[in-house]
Amino acid sequence: MTATSKTVPASAATGVGKAGGPPTGKPGAGRPSPGRGKRPGTDHPLTPLLWLGPALLLIAGVVLWPVVEMVLTSVREVSRAGVIRGWAGLENFEALFDEPDLVPVLIRTLIWVVGVVGVTLLISLGLAQLLNARFPGRKLVRWAMIVPWAASVVMTAIVWRWILDFFHGMGNTILLDLGLIDAPRDWLGEPGLAWLWLMWVAVFVSLPFTTYVLLAGLQTIPGDVYEAAQVDGASRWRTYRTITLPLLKPAVLVATVINVINVFNSFPIIWAMTRGGPGHDTDTTTTFMFKLLRLDKEVGQSAAMAVLNFLMIVVMVLFYLKAVRWKEVD
Amino acid sequence: MRVVALGATATLALTAAAACGSDEADGDGKTITFVAAEYSDKTEPYWQDLVSRFEKANPGLKVDLQVISWDDIDGHVQNLVLNDKAPDLLNLNKFADFAEDGLLYKAGDVLPKEVLDDFIPSFAESSKFEGEQYGLPFIASARLLFYNKDLFAKAKISEPPKTWDELKEAAKKISDLPGDAIGYGLPLGPEEAQGEFQIWINSNGGHWVDDQGNWTIDSPENLETLQFLKSMVDEGLTQPNPAKTDRADVIEAFAAGRIGMIRGLPQTHNNIADQGNKFEYGIAPNPVAEEGMEPSTLGVQDYLMAFDNGKGAQETLRKFLTFFYQEENYSKFITTEGFLPTTQSASEALSDDEKMKPFVEALPQAKFYPVTDPKWTAVDGAVKQQIGKAVQGTDPKKVLEQLQKTAEG
Repeated sequence: MTATSKTVPASAATGVGKAGGPPTGKPGAGRPSPGRGKRPGTDHPLTPLLWLGPALLLIAGVVLWPVVEMVLTSVREVSRAGVIRGWAGLENFEALFDEPDLVPVLIRTLIWVVGVVGVTLLISLGLAQLLNARFPGRKLVRWAMIVPWAASVVMTAIVWRWILDFFHGMGNTILLDLGLIDAPRDWLGEPGLAWLWLMWVAVFVSLPFTTYVLLAGLQTIPGDVYEAAQVDGASRWRTYRTITLPLLKPAVLVATVINVINVFNSFPIIWAMTRGGPGHDTDTTTTFMFKLLRLDKEVGQSAAMAVLNFLMIVVMVLFYLKAVRWKEVD
Repeated sequence: MRVVALGATATLALTAAAACGSDEADGDGKTITFVAAEYSDKTEPYWQDLVSRFEKANPGLKVDLQVISWDDIDGHVQNLVLNDKAPDLLNLNKFADFAEDGLLYKAGDVLPKEVLDDFIPSFAESSKFEGEQYGLPFIASARLLFYNKDLFAKAKISEPPKTWDELKEAAKKISDLPGDAIGYGLPLGPEEAQGEFQIWINSNGGHWVDDQGNWTIDSPENLETLQFLKSMVDEGLTQPNPAKTDRADVIEAFAAGRIGMIRGLPQTHNNIADQGNKFEYGIAPNPVAEEGMEPSTLGVQDYLMAFDNGKGAQETLRKFLTFFYQEENYSKFITTEGFLPTTQSASEALSDDEKMKPFVEALPQAKFYPVTDPKWTAVDGAVKQQIGKAVQGTDPKKVLEQLQKTAEG
């Protein structure tokens, strides 16, 4: 075992060495005369596998295996105590589709993703433009932008939860003192209001990453394009619309896809602030799935919801990539 | 996906840990695993002390203790069972699910007769599944009306309400006081919605099940109860948004002197003391719907249960449980945590505690959750998520019908 693992990297290492300069004619590890025309690294068909092996194992272990386990659980009957009683076929899915709360939760999830990602992108486009401009104190502002990103999401959510708390919250105290409201409000108890506050916190924590991706995109746009536009007498808005935005497309794309996945799966904000309540009024499919597991103790149904979530995210990403024609952008 | 993936990771870790740890212990049944719920920050020190004294007194026997918060314990245990790693001894607020799946020892298999006979009969009775006792009564608690005497005096209310009408009247007078005092704290949020709701339906002659054990969640009495609660909420006599407010929230607010009335439990005394005893308060029986009805209380009982994991730990379990139920060990847990005892010996020993007295006196009229029905777990979860909405927008009748469907489904 140790012998092989020692010799293989050695031969591969010589292979890498060869790639740099002209072939030296020295025999590779243990091989009398390597074929001159052959590319390095192809001396054994399985060699690449040894290099990829650890990564593949890791992917299989932490990505594929849980997916398989998830799908298996979704077609099993698991008792509330946790005993696997046997196969359930599609019963878990049928029970899930019978939940009267499923459709409202799905609609809410859609609003959540579109709303949070959309608003985040809009604000970030502005912020990125601001951070790209030269002004005194820019470093400080750029630094400050990172703070919501560096702070733990759970911490941010809990801080907001307590600011908005009905009985003890600072929010009510300040607004009352300023005379903006005349009685304390339960900001996280009224579904509509709670929803807006949740979205605000989600936008707040998504801004730094999005802004920096867009800022990086802005910095790749060469200055002479703008000079040419200036010479042609293009207005600022025209310049932004026909030069900046199209050239920013790859950055916007990356920011959108990553944000969609993040926001769709977002659990800590909702859980820490409202637990999806009152009732299911601020649940998305992710918190709904967790409640099926923890409150209803329906392991199978929860796994079925997980499968559904998984499919939705796959479809969403594929759809989005197709819509913006990923390959052309490349 | 995240949950399942997390579960899978946790499983991996657990399997690995179990594989390393249990080799020498598994066969002879001399080591037992014990998963206990964390009632307060005094729980873990209590068990650690008990376990170390037990191990000293019984050389060779070992108890692997794990104290888990109430928030996580259900999921944790479900995960353990799902992965064939069920604990040998468990402390939880339900047992019938595990009995139904045939995972438990009968009480008589792990406790000597004198301990079994020491349990207060009504508690032993509600520890049975299909006629056999599986649960070991562990602690009990009851709920009574706590009222703020200072607020009552300010609102010129002379005595605590005895009926719903009087309660509503009192709540109105308190809400009408200048300032932001709240008449009645109604916690129908997920933490303990089932408890608050049961107090109300019981005081109207309703319950979750009838005497034969048939589910009666959508009974006319229960609908009437919800409509009454809805009227309280609509008239602004409670805090806004009961569906989101947890019991801990209203107890804290009551302890801060901001609420006129709530349902409290023995530990509520401590919450009020923690905030500096800022006001005078009293405890009264739970008001009833109509004059002439008998007041009841919600009796809550938690359990110990022993799992038959087929590793011959029965004798170790019996020794440990007998040790725990010795009067001085058991009484110490009860007084440390501020609960009511489920054994006769401890009841006698603790009968002269003034703060506990009203609760002990209320216990004979206690009604319990239908924990002996395995379906209760599902109903409990559904009530926590849905009942609050019934006083806040959703049609109460629809909510009750949905819950009834969950119970019968």
